[in-house]
Amino acid sequence: MSRIGVFICHCGENISATVDCERVAQEAGRLEGVEFATDYKYMCSDPGQTLIKNAIKEHHLDGVVVGSCSPRMHEATFRKTCAEAGLNPYMCEIANLREHVSWVHEKGEATTRKAIQIVTGLISKVQRNKPLNTIKVPVTKCALVIGGGIAGIQTALDIANCGQKVIMIEKSPSIGGHMSQLSETFPTLDCSQCILTPRMVEVAQHPNITLYTYAELDKLEGFVGNFKATIRLKAKSIDYSKCTGCGLCTTKCPNKKIPSEFNEGLGMRTAIYVPFPQAVPNKPVIDKEHCLYYQKGKCKICSKSCPTGAIEYDKPDEFMTIEVGAVVVTTGFNVLKTDFFPEYGYGKYKDVITGLQFERLASASWPTLGEIRRPSDGKIPQKVVFIACCGSRDPAKGIPYCSKICCMYTAKHAMLYQHKVHGGDSTVFYMDIRAGGKNYEEFVRRAIEEDHVNYVRGRVARVYEKDGKLIVKGVDTLLGAEPVEIEADMVVLATAGVASKGAEELAQKMHISYDPYHFFAEAHPKLKPVETNTAGIFLAGACQAPKDIPETVAAASGAAVKVVSLLSQENLVREPIVAVVNRCAPPLFSTCVGCFMCETICPYHAIEHEEIKDRKTGAVIKTIAKINPGLCQGCGTCVSFCRSKSIDLEGYTNEEMYTEVMALLNH
Amino acid sequence: MNKLQERATDLLKGGTVKLIIGFEQGNNKIRPFFCEKPEDAEKLIYSDDCSTNNAVYLTKKELIGDNKIAIIATYKEIASIIQLNKENQIKKENLMVLTVDKDGDVTELTSFEEMEKFCEENTPAPDPVVAALIEKIDKMNREERWAYWKSELDKCIRCYACRAACPLCYCNRCISEVNCPQWLDPWKSTLSNIEWQINRVMHMSGRCTGCGACAKACPLDLPIGILTKKMSTDIKEMLGEGEGGNVLSTFNPNDKENFIH
Repeated sequence: MSRIGVFICHCGENISATVDCERVAQEAGRLEGVEFATDYKYMCSDPGQTLIKNAIKEHHLDGVVVGSCSPRMHEATFRKTCAEAGLNPYMCEIANLREHVSWVHEKGEATTRKAIQIVTGLISKVQRNKPLNTIKVPVTKCALVIGGGIAGIQTALDIANCGQKVIMIEKSPSIGGHMSQLSETFPTLDCSQCILTPRMVEVAQHPNITLYTYAELDKLEGFVGNFKATIRLKAKSIDYSKCTGCGLCTTKCPNKKIPSEFNEGLGMRTAIYVPFPQAVPNKPVIDKEHCLYYQKGKCKICSKSCPTGAIEYDKPDEFMTIEVGAVVVTTGFNVLKTDFFPEYGYGKYKDVITGLQFERLASASWPTLGEIRRPSDGKIPQKVVFIACCGSRDPAKGIPYCSKICCMYTAKHAMLYQHKVHGGDSTVFYMDIRAGGKNYEEFVRRAIEEDHVNYVRGRVARVYEKDGKLIVKGVDTLLGAEPVEIEADMVVLATAGVASKGAEELAQKMHISYDPYHFFAEAHPKLKPVETNTAGIFLAGACQAPKDIPETVAAASGAAVKVVSLLSQENLVREPIVAVVNRCAPPLFSTCVGCFMCETICPYHAIEHEEIKDRKTGAVIKTIAKINPGLCQGCGTCVSFCRSKSIDLEGYTNEEMYTEVMALLNH
Repeated sequence: MNKLQERATDLLKGGTVKLIIGFEQGNNKIRPFFCEKPEDAEKLIYSDDCSTNNAVYLTKKELIGDNKIAIIATYKEIASIIQLNKENQIKKENLMVLTVDKDGDVTELTSFEEMEKFCEENTPAPDPVVAALIEKIDKMNREERWAYWKSELDKCIRCYACRAACPLCYCNRCISEVNCPQWLDPWKSTLSNIEWQINRVMHMSGRCTGCGACAKACPLDLPIGILTKKMSTDIKEMLGEGEGGNVLSTFNPNDKENFIH
């Protein structure tokens, strides 16, 4: 016979205002198996908890039902209380009498009856509960950071400075990401490279960070604390242990007409190249798609010119398997190209450029040494139009969200233009100015008031070329939708920030969720902004949604703390709410027939194959499913899919749930 | 002896296989035949008319043990073997699949690709009787449908012949035998009979190959075959074809799932 204790909390007046708590306790006390039942004003308070503890000891209770607020609120509290009194914490159940009853119903008999029914169901369930013990999982003390932009750099440095090992992979030949392409950064106008490159060097030199550039994630297996990542190290065609980074090969390469990715196509590079002079590592790679040797079989000029004999052609990509305890995804974003916009010429006008291209024109280094010169003829444009919200906030273009950074960088672009081209004339077409951030609004006002940038509120319908000028046709909605026509020398589109290429594929490889725009999804938009739904995988930066640099860096440090707190533990303690496959006596061993439909349905890849072997001969008698408790998140999908009911979810077994439901129905 | 019987004799004599599962002529109808001795091979015939789907025997460990066996298979058996393989129930190295064409020539299907090709080429025409019944029920309103199934399934005696005849009902312990908790009342009653069929159909959804063995096995001739049949059609329509197992357990961004939109 069970000895269950029932404790009904008034939650001040939150519950007792509509539910007759005293009666709930009385009726519960009459039920079979209930040894003790009482009500109290604040069960979660210290005296309330003491009351529970004393009752457990005095009445030798073997199960507890607390009728209180949502288990999300105080399940952990009351389980701990039970544990302190010597009862297994999983013998404690919470009846949600606040969110499920008092807050959603009027005061009355029916409300109290509902409370009694919920308590009754759980009294039946708790009698079937089994004591459970927490699961301990070891932790591999190393983190993997995917992506070497500012988010990845900040995360890696913060983790490494806490004394944990970090492996960083970056798919392009250098770390630095988009931030390395920027000219000056809002709202302070400090040079992007000046603040970034020291950190890039720090990453490369940090004793706790191992950097692999030109590397991509191929596969991710395992679970929190115990991931196994396969990394594809793309062949660089250069032996980095021999290469000194002298750059002679890049000057000799005959194929010099390749649009440079770093310069957003505004400059050219060679087939053997270092993306930019401050690259880390500052050693070249061969772009096989454009290399004459790889394409036509002859050339090898770089090899002949290399003083150290570092060039090695025809090496295959290598694969490396690493073990890590946590993963941080910092793969960043892309911006739409101008060819996305038919109304602005499908990208065929050379002087219609993206904001990122403008960054390169304003940059002190390549391709114009900081002079604003338009791409078509290299002339300094006297009239520039900036168009904000290109694609963004436009459901018709499939991008209903705000790209967030454009208002600020457009103000910065116009300001930089005014600083660099004295007497120049700049106009910004905007929908709204969104300048929420420290010193942001002041920055925009400065552009308008001090630098005399002409802000026109309205959208641009069309941009077309006429007599060597770009005609920008728009409206000024603040002047009663009056049509505006500007003859411009150059047009800069603040194109929408979109998920980086391959984001969906990467998310699927790692089993993390993503939104319709392929940005990775956080576990909770407010309270778990850097976690994913997969334990041990974290996010930072613009791979999640468009973000500016301060926000990205803050998120990166946040993710780093999460990783460090995970890696600093000897063992991870997990709730024992996991699925288990039953076992029984031979010759059956388990009712599992090994159809492994559960394996195909499990969203966490937690199902493994277990071979049951003859103890003497070692012959396989049966192969059945086995659930890895480290991976299992206790979602119960496999339980519902198992036809023979061979899988049960601990803490919510079929029998427990069935009993609860039957008690609810029969009461 | 025809070519099939000759091949069977060779296989058994040479010890290539321990057992051949095929068909023989019974008193009134064609029935399954388990041929273990070369001298019995002459009883083997090939026919599409056997009401049993012989693939049902492939998951019977007590019958086949760890031995290599051969099965003389028609469309029904092959479709079931393909599904059983997706569910990890076939040890390919221990199974030889033989078919006989209209000229009496015996062909061995050595790979699942060949079996799938065979099924594509030999898909039987839909049974007009079954199709007509499904159409009739589709036209009923909810009350009429409920009344129809209540009256039909009220007759069920819970002999579980439908379960025994189905090649895909191979669980060691059926949900109908689980008593902690007791999901289904084990005795015959209209409601629990209906519950049993609902359970069976749900378990078959996305898996049933439509062989109709369940309906043919029913001693009361209840129209239970149309339940699985209809479910298969609905699932195909709503979710498309699944890859690598069950359409209900796999996700592909290209899945139809139009009913969600």
